[in-house]
Amino acid sequence: MIWVSWRQHRSQAIGCLALLAALAVYAILVGSSMRTAFGNDALTGCLARSQGTGCPNAVTAFMNEFGSEVNIAFWSVTLIVPGLIGVLVGAPLIARELEYGTWRLAWSQTVPRVRWLTVKLALVTGGLIVLGAAITAVITWYRAPMDQLTGHLQHNIYDFEGLVPTAYILCAFGFAVLAGLLIRRSIPAMIAAFIPWLAIRLVVEFVFRPHFMTPLTVQVNCPPTNACSTGISSVPQATGHIGDWVLGMNRNGFIYQPADRFWPFQFIEAGIFVALTAAALGATIWLLHRRAAWTA
Amino acid sequence: MEFIDDEAGGGVPALRTSRLGRRYGRVWGLRDCTLEVPAGAVAALVGPNGAGKTTLLEMIIGLLEPTDGQVSVFGETSRADTAQALARVGYVAQDHPLYRDFTIADMFHLGRTMNPRWDQELAAARMDALSIPLQRKVKSLSGGQRAQVSLTMALAKRAPLLVLDEPVSSLDPVARLEFMRDVMASAAGTDLTFLISSHVVSELERFCDWLIVLAGGRVQLAGPAGDLLAAHQLLTVPRSTADAELPGTAIYRTDNDSPGGQHHTVLVRADPVQLTAQRRPGWQADPVSFEQLVMAYLQRTPRPGPTMKAVTR
Repeated sequence: MIWVSWRQHRSQAIGCLALLAALAVYAILVGSSMRTAFGNDALTGCLARSQGTGCPNAVTAFMNEFGSEVNIAFWSVTLIVPGLIGVLVGAPLIARELEYGTWRLAWSQTVPRVRWLTVKLALVTGGLIVLGAAITAVITWYRAPMDQLTGHLQHNIYDFEGLVPTAYILCAFGFAVLAGLLIRRSIPAMIAAFIPWLAIRLVVEFVFRPHFMTPLTVQVNCPPTNACSTGISSVPQATGHIGDWVLGMNRNGFIYQPADRFWPFQFIEAGIFVALTAAALGATIWLLHRRAAWTA
Repeated sequence: MEFIDDEAGGGVPALRTSRLGRRYGRVWGLRDCTLEVPAGAVAALVGPNGAGKTTLLEMIIGLLEPTDGQVSVFGETSRADTAQALARVGYVAQDHPLYRDFTIADMFHLGRTMNPRWDQELAAARMDALSIPLQRKVKSLSGGQRAQVSLTMALAKRAPLLVLDEPVSSLDPVARLEFMRDVMASAAGTDLTFLISSHVVSELERFCDWLIVLAGGRVQLAGPAGDLLAAHQLLTVPRSTADAELPGTAIYRTDNDSPGGQHHTVLVRADPVQLTAQRRPGWQADPVSFEQLVMAYLQRTPRPGPTMKAVTR
């Protein structure tokens, strides 16, 4: 079964490796020059000492050169990539067998179909975890200097680091495998899985994520001579600490999530998507097991 | 070839179903199906499209769970989707599904990793005999070659019962003949049991020694082909003859006779002794052919039967 799974998913694996290689090349080219510039401007020390207030010109110069690398529009489009990877790999897993009639071949060998499915799911899921971790590692390395200026709790930064990119891929994969069994055709199953994935992804990001933990409030504390702001890479930050995620203002000051909540937030959000994945794959295994009772 | 089931003794049938039934929603795809196929038989499963043939075969293989009754293969009850049930049956599915982007060697590798008793030598030797290189991609094969690869995979699984679902319906006439000859050659000298379904009677006539006629989701006729032929007669009798006057059981009365003819042709189920005893002057008795026998049983089944294709697909 291991060989069969590998043989059937070989071209997908090669495609994923090509994607990863292209990303790595880009990251090394841009990331290296970003690191050099960051070192030349001695930003590390300045940020550590004064949260950037001591070297506003260096910050501005760095952002002018590399600011487009955190361009919101680009990363907003990129947020669908984990979903695309997941549905492209997941939808054909069962649907292609049903589409081409090869299920009669696959499930009439001396391997019960539930075992056939669980072995495939285990191997492909493992492959996707490795892929997700590798993509995350490359992006995290590439953005490391920039993250010192921006933190990584903000939208479009948080979503590409830590645990969540892998969890997003797995969730789209789980939805697509289930949709493939129910719809029996690969392309419609991809669409049927992608739409709810994207909806859940956006609802979690914009509705639930700001309240994963109770936000803090801080008095506005800007030096009178130096207007401060709350945007990405603004120095100085209105909350006084780089990387805090400001949700809004009330009469007591800024409401925000502190930067050091990155990992708790990552675990909470990854947990949500892994739970959805487990539910979808569990339902798929159960449905395939019961399929003999309903239809061949 | 040797099989585990040899120890079970000669008396155990290769296949036995008892009151086997399968319902799809409110429609019965197969109902009250009781039959036996002895080990070593080459059995033809004949019936029109939608008769329940694929439903029966899928329950035998373990792809489908019965709604009613039981199916046992070599004396052991098959439960859908267990490795033991799957190991006992080799399956050549309709239209010979294979992975298009696999080479034949890949298909055999799949067979080897998914079947503990896989016979790689047999598989390679068969491809060699057919002059099909193992490095050919499945998508480059002709229909006849795909059928051969499917059959080879089922044989190399080394299951004692082989189930072939409409194996030749997608082939041209020459390939049909070659394929059936090849099946017979692989059956010769082994104790393999074959169950071959078809909706075309003539394809199977000269190859099969056991006959099962299925129509409207029910078994119409089943038994050794030779005995069934001997037990039926075509009687040409005066039109006025009532069924009750005929020997045995009247199965089917043809309506089309010669213009102005005063006679009917009736297929009766009666042994020769019975026939001789009850025969009247002016009656003509003829032996029945395989095809006439099957057609008579199919035609007497009320139409339209439940059309299961629409449900199963």
